[in-house]
Amino acid sequence: FLTELTRLFQKCRTSGSVFITLKKYDGRTKPVPRKGHAESFEPADNKCLLRATDGKKKISTVVSSKEVNKFQMAYSNLLRANMDGLKKKDKKSKNKKSKATQ
Amino acid sequence: FQVRVVLKYRHCDGNLCIKVTDDVACLLYRTDQAQDVKKIEKFHSQLMRLMVAKESRSSTMETD
Repeated sequence: FLTELTRLFQKCRTSGSVFITLKKYDGRTKPVPRKGHAESFEPADNKCLLRATDGKKKISTVVSSKEVNKFQMAYSNLLRANMDGLKKKDKKSKNKKSKATQ
Repeated sequence: FQVRVVLKYRHCDGNLCIKVTDDVACLLYRTDQAQDVKKIEKFHSQLMRLMVAKESRSSTMETD
């Protein structure tokens, strides 16, 4: 997933957006039935679903609490490395308000 | 039904937008500042951790 995500960011550098969605995931793979007969499985609580798209291609992965540490390190680096097209602040305006934003 | 977090990055426009909604309330933050990327990335990681945590409460809330 992380490789694909890197590629997705790189592809979009010249145009378009990258959308990333994060949702809590309970392990359900079938849609909830309309006339409730009780679900026959245990919803798991410790997973989340991470999706990324550039509007055309979609990728997704499930992260569980065991993987979250390792995944986050790589994922944070990835986000920071790729979201570098933003404006940098001037030195002059930094002094006055720097404490408030921390 | 559930909480979701959406992160939207536009390199060509040079801005970043993060949205958190639980289908009742919706919080949106948009920035074009490089210094916010680190904050948003940390915030996003916190949210991810909250989602995989088994406990229903967490005290690692950021007030930014």
